[in-house]
Amino acid sequence: MSMRGRGLAFGAVLTAAALTLTACGGDSDDTAADPAGGTVNIFGSQPQNPLVPVLTNETGGGNVIDNLFTRLVDYNPETAAPELAMAESIEPSEGNTLWTIKLKPGWKFHDGTPVTAESFVKAWNDGANCNTGALNQYFFGPDGVNIKGYDAVAGTYDAEGNLDCAGIEPDAGMEGLKVVDDTTFTAELAGPVSIFATIVGYSAFAPMPEIYFTDRPAFEAKPIGNGPYQFVSAKANESIVVTEYPDYQGEKKAQVKDINYKIYQTPDAAYVDLLANNLDVIDTMPATALAGDRWKTELGDRSILKPVGVFQSVTFPLYVEEFDNPELRKAISMAIDRESVISVAFNNTRTPADGWVPPVIEGYQPGACGEACTFDAAKAKQMFDDAGGFDGTLTIAYNADGGHKEWVDATCVSIKNALDVECQGKAYPTFAELRNDVTEDKMTGIFRTGWQMDYPSMQNFLAPLYATDAGSNDGGYSNPAFDTLLRDAAGQTPEEAIASYQQATQLLAEDMPVIPLWYGALTAGWSENIETPVFTPFGRVDWTSLKLKG
Amino acid sequence: MSNPISASLEATDQQGALGTEGTGKPRSLGRDAWEDLRRRPLFLVSAVLITIFMLMAIVPQLFTRKDPRECDLLRSRQPPSSEAWFGYDSLGCDVYANTIYGARSSIAVGLITTVLVALIGSSLGTMAGFFGGRTDSILSRTADIFFGIPFLLGALLVLITFPSEPDTPAWQTIMKVVVALTVLGWPTFLRLMRSSVIQVRSSDFVMAARSLGAPPRRLIRKHVVPNSLSPVIAVATISLGGYIVAEAALSFLGIGLQPPVISWGSQISEAVPWLRVAPHMLFFPAIFLSFCVLSFMMLGDAVKDALDPKLR
Repeated sequence: MSMRGRGLAFGAVLTAAALTLTACGGDSDDTAADPAGGTVNIFGSQPQNPLVPVLTNETGGGNVIDNLFTRLVDYNPETAAPELAMAESIEPSEGNTLWTIKLKPGWKFHDGTPVTAESFVKAWNDGANCNTGALNQYFFGPDGVNIKGYDAVAGTYDAEGNLDCAGIEPDAGMEGLKVVDDTTFTAELAGPVSIFATIVGYSAFAPMPEIYFTDRPAFEAKPIGNGPYQFVSAKANESIVVTEYPDYQGEKKAQVKDINYKIYQTPDAAYVDLLANNLDVIDTMPATALAGDRWKTELGDRSILKPVGVFQSVTFPLYVEEFDNPELRKAISMAIDRESVISVAFNNTRTPADGWVPPVIEGYQPGACGEACTFDAAKAKQMFDDAGGFDGTLTIAYNADGGHKEWVDATCVSIKNALDVECQGKAYPTFAELRNDVTEDKMTGIFRTGWQMDYPSMQNFLAPLYATDAGSNDGGYSNPAFDTLLRDAAGQTPEEAIASYQQATQLLAEDMPVIPLWYGALTAGWSENIETPVFTPFGRVDWTSLKLKG
Repeated sequence: MSNPISASLEATDQQGALGTEGTGKPRSLGRDAWEDLRRRPLFLVSAVLITIFMLMAIVPQLFTRKDPRECDLLRSRQPPSSEAWFGYDSLGCDVYANTIYGARSSIAVGLITTVLVALIGSSLGTMAGFFGGRTDSILSRTADIFFGIPFLLGALLVLITFPSEPDTPAWQTIMKVVVALTVLGWPTFLRLMRSSVIQVRSSDFVMAARSLGAPPRRLIRKHVVPNSLSPVIAVATISLGGYIVAEAALSFLGIGLQPPVISWGSQISEAVPWLRVAPHMLFFPAIFLSFCVLSFMMLGDAVKDALDPKLR
C-alpha cells in the first residue's frame, strides 16, 4: 500500500486542481475514444429495500446504488482516499463547523433534469427526516456529519426501540443546510467534524432527482440517479441490469456498456457459474471454495485476496467485575495465536490484527497493539497468573448464524493451552439475539464484535466503538483522556486529527477493552472474459476497471 | 438339495428338545429364545460388537490414553499417522480419542431413551389393552396426538425451548435429548403393547385365572404382561439403534448434544465443511456410528426372530 501516503493530502481545502492530479494516477487509460461495449455479469444479491440510497445499507442494493449515483466525493479504488467527484470544492470554516460545498456545473440526472444544490439539500433533509425511516439516517446526526438541526427532525426512540415521529412534518428540513445558489450550498454543523468531506462520499449523501419527491412509486420502479450507469430493469431474485449513461459528466468513463447483477440462491451456484465463465465477477468466495484453497487452484491468477476495511474482535463486558483488570485482558489477548486460528478457521484469508484500525485506513500504524497482540504463551501465562487468573470457564459468545463457530472454538483452544483455563464457545442462535443481550449489558463473558467501515477514516473505527456511551460501545469502555483526544481531533486538520487518533489508539493498547483479532480480507475471483478488475478497500469491484477482453 | 438339510436341522432340534425334557425342567419362552439365540451367528457377532461398544462407553481409558480435549492448533487436520491413528480434527484434537469418548454419550442416549420409551409405552399400552373402553380411548387418542407430531419438528421444539449452555452439566445436556426423543417415541410402544395385550387378554389361560378369581393386578403381572412382552423387547432393541441415529441427527443440526459433551453426531457435523480437505475427520466417527447402530439392529433382528415361535 505504498499509495497510502497520498490519501488525504488535499487537506482542509479541496480543489478541483488536486482532483485532476489524483485522477491522472487512476487506472483508466483514457480510452474514451473507444466506445464501451458488451456486458459484464457480476455476482449480486437481492436488495433488501427499493434502490433508494438512504434506505440501503447492505451490499446487494449498495453495489448497484454505487453505480447509479455519484456523490460529492468518490473514494480512490486503490487507497480509499476521498477524491472530488460531483463537488468542485468542499471547504471548511475555521474549526470545521461550517462547510461550503460548490458543485460542478452541467451535471444531469438520467431523466435529463439538472443536478443542483437543491437536489443535495432536499435529499439530505429527506434522509434525516424521521418520517422517511431511513436506515442510514444516523449519518446525518452526531455519529456522522452532525448537521445542525438534526435532532429536531430525527425523532426519538421509545423504550421498545420504535422510532417515534410525533410532531415532525414529513418535509421538515435541517436548519444547518442552506442553498446559496444553483451550484453552492452550505452545511452548518452542531459540532466540529474534520472528516466531513470524507463522510459525504457514503451513498446516503447522494443527490436525488425531483421525481423522487413528487412520484415515489415511479422512482422506485425505475430509480434515477446521476451516476455513470442508469437503471434498465430488475427481476426479483434473478437480476438487475444497468447500462452506461451516455451524458455522464464525471471524469472517469465506463469501459463496458452493460452490467448485469446476477442473483443466485447460493454462493456455491455462483462459483460454479464463474468456473463456466457464465459469471464474470464474484466478490465473496463461498466457504466450500475456500476450503483447501480450492479457489486458488481452480482460478489461479484470476483470484485475489485483498485486505478490506473490516475489523474483527472480541469484547470484554467491562461491567463484569472479573474483567475489570487491564493486565488480565492483555494476558488473554496475548494467549491467542492469531496466525494459527486464521489458518485453521479461515484458510489464511484474514490478516492478524496488530491494532484497532485496519491497514487500508489512512493513519494505520503497524504494531499499534504492541506485544499484547503477539502470541506468547509463556508470557501470557505469567501475566495471567500475576493478574489473579480467572475462576471458572471463560466463554466467548457468538451468533451461530454467521459461521463463527470454527474460529471461536480455535481461539478457545489457543487460550486454554496457553493459560490453562477452561474456555468454551457460547452460541446464540441468531445475530439479533446476541445483539439484544449485548446492548442490554447482559453479557457475562467475552463476546465477538466486528466493524465494517462506513467511510475510510480512523474516526470511523474509534469514535462509534470506544467513546464513552457511543452507539456501538458494547463493552462499556470509558476513558476521559480518550474522549478528549477524539473531541480535539474533530476540530483539527486531517493530519493533526490522525496524530490525535493514533494517540487515542495507544490508550486502547494500555486498557485493552477490546481484543483485536484480525482484519477482513476480500476473496474475489473473475472469469476469463474480462481484464483483471480492481477491487476497492470496501470490497467492491471498481466499475471503471470492468472491461471485456479483446 | 434343500430337503436333507432342513430334515437334519429338524432332527437336531428334536434331539435338543428331548434332551431338556429329560432333565424334567419346563422351558419358558425366554429360555427357548435364549437357546435359539446362542446358535445364531448374527447374534454372536452383534453381541461381541455391542460388548466392545459398551466397554468403550463405560471405560474409554481402556482404548486410549489420550485426552480427547487435549488439542493443538498446529496439528490441525493432519491425516492419520502412527502418532494419531485416525488423524487430527480442525482444532488439532485426536480423532481416535474423540471417537472412543463419543461412544458414551451416543450409547447413553440410545439406552436411556429406549428404557424410558419402553417403560412408559408398554405400561400405558397394557392399561389400554387390558381395561379397554374409556381408558383405551383416552390413552390411544393421546398417543395419536403425539404420533402426529413430526419427529424432527417435535425434537427441535423441545431442544430449542430448553437450550444448553456451555456450563450445563453433561448429564443435563444428555437428558434433554433423551426427553425430546422419549416424548415423541412412547406412542409406538403403546400401540405395540396394546395390541399384544388384547391378543393375550382373551386367551384361555387368562380366562381361567380370571374365573378362579384372580384380581386384575395379579392377572396383569402374572399372566398378561409376561406373555405379551416379546414384541416390545424385539422392537426396543431395534429402535435403540434408531435413537442413536436420531441423536446423531440432532447433534449434526447443532441442537442435540452440545460441546463440551463429545458425540459422534457433533463430530460428524464439524467435519462436513472439510470433507474435501480432511475426509478422515468425517470417516472415523461415521464408521463407529454405523457399526454401533448396525450391531444393535442385528441384535434386535435376532431377538425378534428368536422370540417369534412361528419362525422357529
